[in-house]
Amino acid sequence: MISTYLIYLLGKALVLTALAPLVAGIIKKVKAFLQNRRGPGLFQLYFDIGKLLAKDSIISPTTSWIFTVTPFIYFAAAFGAAALAPVVAEVFFGTTGWQPDLFMLLYLFVLSRFFLVLAGLDAGSSFGGMGGAREMFVAVMVEPALLLASLTVALRAHSTNLTAMTLSAQTGFGGLSAIFAATAFFVVLIAETGRIPVDNPDTHLELTMIHEGMVLEYSGRRLGLIVWAVATKQLVLLVLFAALFWPFPLIIDSVAGQIVWLIVKVVLTAIALALTEMLANKMRLFKVPGFLAVASLLALLAIVAQ
Amino acid sequence: MNFTTIYLLMLLIFAVGLIITPVLCKKLKVANLFAHGIALLGSLAAVLCASFVFVTGPQAFSLPLYLPFMAFSVRVDYLAAYFLAIIGLVGAAASIYAVAYGREYFKRRFIVMAELYLAFLLSMLLVVSVSHVFAFLVVWEVMSVASFMLVGQEYDNPVSTKAAYLYLVMTHIGTAFIMTAFLLLAKTSGSMEFAELSALGADTWTKNAIFLCALIGFGTKAGLIPLHIWLPKAHPAAPTHVSALMSGVMLKTAIYGMTRFYLEFLGVGPAWWGGIILLFAIVSAVLGVLYAMMEHDIKSLLAYSSVENIGLIMLGMGAGMVLMSNGLTTLAGLAWAAALFHVLNHAVFKALLFFGAGAVISVTHTRDIEQHGGLIKVMPYTAVVFLIGAAAISALPPFNGFVSEWLIFQVLFNLPAAIGGVLGKMVAAVLISLLGLTGALAAACFVKAYGMIFLAKPRGNKAEQASEVSGFMLVPMFLMAILCLVLGIIAPKIMVLLRDILAPFFSEGVLDSLVNSAWYVLGFQQGQVSAGLSLPALGVVFGAGIVLAAIFYLLNGLGKSETGETWTCGIVPNARMEYTATGFSGPIRRAFGKVLLPQTEKVINTNTSPYSGWRVIYEVHITHVVDELVYQPLNRRIVIASRFMKEIQTGSVQLYIGYIMAVTIGMLIWSTRW
Repeated sequence: MISTYLIYLLGKALVLTALAPLVAGIIKKVKAFLQNRRGPGLFQLYFDIGKLLAKDSIISPTTSWIFTVTPFIYFAAAFGAAALAPVVAEVFFGTTGWQPDLFMLLYLFVLSRFFLVLAGLDAGSSFGGMGGAREMFVAVMVEPALLLASLTVALRAHSTNLTAMTLSAQTGFGGLSAIFAATAFFVVLIAETGRIPVDNPDTHLELTMIHEGMVLEYSGRRLGLIVWAVATKQLVLLVLFAALFWPFPLIIDSVAGQIVWLIVKVVLTAIALALTEMLANKMRLFKVPGFLAVASLLALLAIVAQ
Repeated sequence: MNFTTIYLLMLLIFAVGLIITPVLCKKLKVANLFAHGIALLGSLAAVLCASFVFVTGPQAFSLPLYLPFMAFSVRVDYLAAYFLAIIGLVGAAASIYAVAYGREYFKRRFIVMAELYLAFLLSMLLVVSVSHVFAFLVVWEVMSVASFMLVGQEYDNPVSTKAAYLYLVMTHIGTAFIMTAFLLLAKTSGSMEFAELSALGADTWTKNAIFLCALIGFGTKAGLIPLHIWLPKAHPAAPTHVSALMSGVMLKTAIYGMTRFYLEFLGVGPAWWGGIILLFAIVSAVLGVLYAMMEHDIKSLLAYSSVENIGLIMLGMGAGMVLMSNGLTTLAGLAWAAALFHVLNHAVFKALLFFGAGAVISVTHTRDIEQHGGLIKVMPYTAVVFLIGAAAISALPPFNGFVSEWLIFQVLFNLPAAIGGVLGKMVAAVLISLLGLTGALAAACFVKAYGMIFLAKPRGNKAEQASEVSGFMLVPMFLMAILCLVLGIIAPKIMVLLRDILAPFFSEGVLDSLVNSAWYVLGFQQGQVSAGLSLPALGVVFGAGIVLAAIFYLLNGLGKSETGETWTCGIVPNARMEYTATGFSGPIRRAFGKVLLPQTEKVINTNTSPYSGWRVIYEVHITHVVDELVYQPLNRRIVIASRFMKEIQTGSVQLYIGYIMAVTIGMLIWSTRW
């Protein structure tokens, strides 16, 4: 029934949202380890968010209600994406006539980006505009690559339904095609989560920042919501990678086993992200189209090789 | 009350308006209310006609005109009723809006504008309901000429005049092709009535010729690239309520024409027909939105975005034709449904955005978005509805634009079923990724437009002195904004309607699987393929997210909010520090440099005070490739050719009499040869 299914979706979203800061902590920890630092604890982001959610805010008089409501919309979009994320092959809800759709998930990201860029412009500083312009630029470059990479799985499953896609990705090894698709999506993952070499999550240097430029004017509770939503979005993308693009499937019948395997995959992907950040340099903004074009081409090759 | 009565009543309403309005030329305020009130009534009558058809089934009647080849026959089937309803709906909103907007024209030929507006609206309603070839061509021409004159409304402005004449030339080239298509069709089927028009008996060459003529003819009107050059110039030049009608509705009459031809008259064609349409459609979509992204004139931006949306609609149509020629009728039905749904959605949000743009222009008196800014504070209501329009056109859930774009995505995704093998997958993948690119660019474009117009600080003194517009403007905008949301939520119901509209063109029952039994699911099932979209479910999840965010926000009480200036590295912030529209689109302009060919002009004035630095003027122009590579050389050739014509056109009366003599003698000799 649809109501039980909705409750399941909400529960899934809650769990993913709750775990998201932990995954961000794992990435930070691995990075610190690779840099011979001790780094912050695994749970540091929970403390950060907790502190931000108790703080007062400073709001620029230039801003309007767009700036005020954006954190809520941004958080809700990330929460919605978490609800739709394909955690396990949800065959046990097959009778509702509706399952989360790939395009719906992707357009939730577009929604959140739309409002965050508007909020960046709202404060009227150069930083917000610069971050927003760059964010839209990267989004324009990412979108075709993201769709192409997702299509490799969707075309194999004959559906853009995320459940069908998960099932198809978990039941057969796609060969060379799957490896190409995984590489392509990994590149997209780097760009979408705002990591080196596309963006740098750790810097406030005006020459390089994208995401941090847009949220520069935020403080206190609203910043806390945004930080949490960013972590959630990152986890959703990791789950998407683990569920749909993990090139070597392992057929597991029990739901519990599937979940454990998913957790392993997500952690491994997070470590891979940290490794990439360590090994790569921040790229010039105008080199990004070329970087993502490689991903698009790989995805096209993956479709041809099917 | 039967259909004929309502329809004739609608014509009568417009006739009364057309006759009485000029009489009121001394009382402009009364004339304004009267003419646009009549337009509102007429539009509502059209909606009534359409609803009548949806309730009771297709209607037709014919009135003799006692003219050779002419009959005034009207046939409103479901398809015509759908377009009639769209025109009526947007026309009604535009008429309310026009009451406020028309006031600006009291000193500038107001009565002429009101008359032309009525004629334009009426001609569009007639175009989609008459069913006789000659009658169609006549009302089509009336529509073109009325809109030409409205584009040239400000004929003391050379830019408007130029746009109007370019439009006139292009639309007549289009009409010539439409006429050819209709005459070829009438010749093969031996009738002038739509109901009997069919290309079944025609040979392949004739069919192909009809297909191409209809594509070029209606494509010109629709603004398909490379036939679009008039559109971004003509739409901004017209008064805003007319721009809204032109972009939102007039382009759709061309879609109506194409639907009639490709779905009804021509029947199932070869796959390359659809392929050609897909090619032009995707080029229109991508280039249209790229040019929109580069525009700073708000109305030109919206006009280019119409080119993009026509591309999206035609993607659905092209895919439908490809699927149809491979016998995949259910999926073809889905494709046409997606196209027709986007026709409605685009009409609604484009009208809304033009209304919003008009409201902004009416208070700031400039169309340049670089000089707007900060209007969200002084025009709070306009800002809300414009945001909804921008979100809908950027295909954000849960608005209507998302639903039709989702359907188009699904249609393209199913193309491999028609085109087998790797080629099919490649075509689908490339089209989908380009559609994704279009969507991302549209979002960037409207973020830019909204940010520059409404957010941050005012960039010019005109924007500083702005204030909220009157209720006559706000009411239609709010209506359209509500429709944007409602059409998204009730999409499954619209799908039922679209199935009924398309059913006559398909075999019995093949479209039934497009409709889902659950009210909350927009989905379809075709063999292996199934897909579903549930905006209510998404709404529940999203709403839960908002509630959760609010809970976390309030966990430690409301907290204090202090006011502190925007951080600008210690300088007092001012409007000149804000990002400009040129700057915002800069990275994209650079990345697509090979297509846009940007040219930068930088003027550095060093003759200023040594303490305050140099004054730099920076301008960027992009090159419209089609315009400069195709039309301008063509134009030059025509001008050169016409110089030769000048030699024999001296203006001397004697010489002309001589020509007439020569022709007459020539004809006499020619006729006596037999």
